[in-house]
Amino acid sequence: MMSLPFVLFACGLGAAWMRHRGVAMGFWVFGLVTMLVLFRVHVTEVLSIQL
Amino acid sequence: MSGDLSRLLNAVGLLGIGTVLALAFIDQIWFRDLPCPLCILQRVGFFAAGFGIALNIVFGPKPSHYGVAIIGAVGGAAIAMRQILIHIVPGTGSYGNPVFGLHLYTWAFIAFVVIVVGCAIMLLDDRQFSRVEPMSARLKPFPLSALLLFLVLAVANIFSTIALCGAGFCPDEPKDYILFQSSP
Repeated sequence: MMSLPFVLFACGLGAAWMRHRGVAMGFWVFGLVTMLVLFRVHVTEVLSIQL
Repeated sequence: MSGDLSRLLNAVGLLGIGTVLALAFIDQIWFRDLPCPLCILQRVGFFAAGFGIALNIVFGPKPSHYGVAIIGAVGGAAIAMRQILIHIVPGTGSYGNPVFGLHLYTWAFIAFVVIVVGCAIMLLDDRQFSRVEPMSARLKPFPLSALLLFLVLAVANIFSTIALCGAGFCPDEPKDYILFQSSP
């Protein structure tokens, strides 16, 4: 699961290498959304930063 | 700024991001400083940011590519900031070994800010966007090497993350590679 954004970005880079800009951008968007979802999943507790 | 100079500077930037990711790998493999879930997501942030710079190299400089890099860097910076804030109160510990007095997540935050500022500076020059020229032959090897390094690091991170976490989520403080653990 945690490797999914790397897979998406690698596919996007591959698409860019093959000069498919739209496909590359699509993979980037999915990679970014996956990164943000995984970040949200890992934010499980409230920060205790009051002094 | 000509398209060639812009591509060259983008290649230097991508090589910088590649160096950061390679150093993280060295820290992981050589010093056995296994990355936590947020550390892995910061690496993802570097790929999200570097993606825009890679697009500049392949398709020529465009404002939208710098936008891609900035959005990726801001996302990565948010993740790094979260990890800094987890450990900011004295007595709450830290994760991993410090490098030159700062932990890797603090360095990551600084690097993300540098990427945002670097992209903003590059965006100041409109002349690079006026005409998209094909990359000149004498410049091709360096940007393409930087791009290839970036792609290789992305693939290496896929295998590393699968080895560390398997198919699911990573443990908060990984002690060993899940894939190489012998079953009890």
